[in-house]
Amino acid sequence: MVKPSRHSTKSEERRAYWLLVLPAVVIYWAVTAFPLFFSIILSLTNYSGGPIFAFDFKFVGLNNYIRMFKDPYFWISLKNNAYIILVSVFGQIPLGFIFAYAIFRKLVRFGDFFQTMIYLPAVISPIVVGILWQTFFSPYGPLTKIVQHFKPGWRSTFLLDPKRAIIPVLFVILWMYTGTYLIIFLANLQKFEPSILEAAKIDGATEFQTLWYVILPALSGVIVTTVILAISGSLKSFNLIFAMTGGNPARRTSVLALYMYDTAFRGAPNYPMASAISMFIVMLSIILIIFTKAVENRYGGRE
Amino acid sequence: MNNTATPQVKKRPEEIGILPQTIMYLILFGFTILTLYPLIWMVINSFKTTQEFLMNPLGLPNRWFFKNYPLAWRLANFSTLFLNSILYTGISTIGIIFFSLAAAFAFAKIKSKATSFLYGGFLIGILFTIESLMIPLYLMSFTLGLTDTRIGVLIPYIGLGLPIGIYLCTEFIKSLPDSVVEAARIDGASYFKIFLYIIIPMAKPVIATVAIMNALGIWNEFMLINILVSRSDLLSLPVGIMKFSGALASDYGKQFAALVIGTVPTVSFYLVLRNRITQGVAAGATKG
Repeated sequence: MVKPSRHSTKSEERRAYWLLVLPAVVIYWAVTAFPLFFSIILSLTNYSGGPIFAFDFKFVGLNNYIRMFKDPYFWISLKNNAYIILVSVFGQIPLGFIFAYAIFRKLVRFGDFFQTMIYLPAVISPIVVGILWQTFFSPYGPLTKIVQHFKPGWRSTFLLDPKRAIIPVLFVILWMYTGTYLIIFLANLQKFEPSILEAAKIDGATEFQTLWYVILPALSGVIVTTVILAISGSLKSFNLIFAMTGGNPARRTSVLALYMYDTAFRGAPNYPMASAISMFIVMLSIILIIFTKAVENRYGGRE
Repeated sequence: MNNTATPQVKKRPEEIGILPQTIMYLILFGFTILTLYPLIWMVINSFKTTQEFLMNPLGLPNRWFFKNYPLAWRLANFSTLFLNSILYTGISTIGIIFFSLAAAFAFAKIKSKATSFLYGGFLIGILFTIESLMIPLYLMSFTLGLTDTRIGVLIPYIGLGLPIGIYLCTEFIKSLPDSVVEAARIDGASYFKIFLYIIIPMAKPVIATVAIMNALGIWNEFMLINILVSRSDLLSLPVGIMKFSGALASDYGKQFAALVIGTVPTVSFYLVLRNRITQGVAAGATKG
């Protein structure tokens, strides 16, 4: 911290502080804290459109929340969020780690090239990705034609079948975001002192032993971070699914964010219930933050 | 975060045995093909007419049909979409950088009791799922008459980009020696001058990181702008492409051309700034 010099008075320092900080604080609070507060209030009312400051609505207690918990589509959406988390935790994270490890230890050549290729899908607009894969999986799409080479008469009906439509969605999510985990693991692997790994090797440790006893324990914090990322990432899967399936068929590929969007904008708008859903997602996020902090404390930081 | 440190430079690749290594190569090549094939397929089909696509969705076009591009460009109004996307991305990114640096400078180098509360508030925003606020944001925007305006898009973009920006900038400015600011203060420079002439020039590396991270995210942002704006002259690229594809769902030739037009900017941006983007993603994740 800077000690006040002869020329600076306390009040000048204070004024400078607030001038520098205020624009960011005002904008940030205006688009987060204020809507959050707004959302809490709204979720307890029966507001049905029109100017809000006409106060043409009543407080209905927790009715919107009760309706949400009774809505089967809420549970379908929540379940799909859970599937996305599972794909991340058991697909993207292990794959990302294995790729990062192979590249870091130079177990394969062309590491840079593979890294670029695996991360590439993540930079494309999820809207483009969604439309592209929807065409790919459609009954007239190339998947049908490819499989017909082996199995004449077969048609890709994945995206039409309510029970299976989530499978291509999960596949595309895996396709799109495995590279993100690769990059995170690789960056953290590169923080290792080469001497530590050399020492393990001189002591006669095999590749697997080095991985298991030296590298993995040191990365436990990073692994926790990636799991948290996977959970918050599943709450952000709106764009891709919106473009790829729109939550259909029969809303079976919906996720919480899309469920909230549908409640607010499709058919008769129901803003209070959408706000209740919004609050539910916020609560999930808060639980997540508390959980992260707890894990962080237990493992003693994430470096 | 320095990628130039490559331990074990002289290590031979065959350490883990030939079989696991072969499997590793197969998986990696598999993923590479999975990345490239759909993209190449998309480009090839953008040169077919819709009739040809329906008969022959896999092979090369019999006759290369280039007209999809000018037709899609005009129908989807890509000139406007590009202009809007550049404006939204450029202005928000500059705003995020400027406000982040200003607040970060105060947090890092001026003592105040408010810092722990205010900075803590921003840190929470990194983990917070911003998407959850889209409905209240829309209603607020609507109430204030900010829907269908550019400023109504820019304010949330800037606000939601601040947490990670402020986190990265504050950590960076904290790492600069206090003596830099002290010396300037003794010479009689105001905090504003110190910010403009000392902090900003010194913060170039972190500015680049924050800029790249936000630019890509805002360029691809869809969820918020989709509900905040409906006037066709204010749409961004992703919204425009989504609307175009909805309206012309069965006109595959033009649709593929539109998808290619939407893919080229971000992919070239990535290929040019690969290392910087990679570092940014990793830097953002260590606290996100």
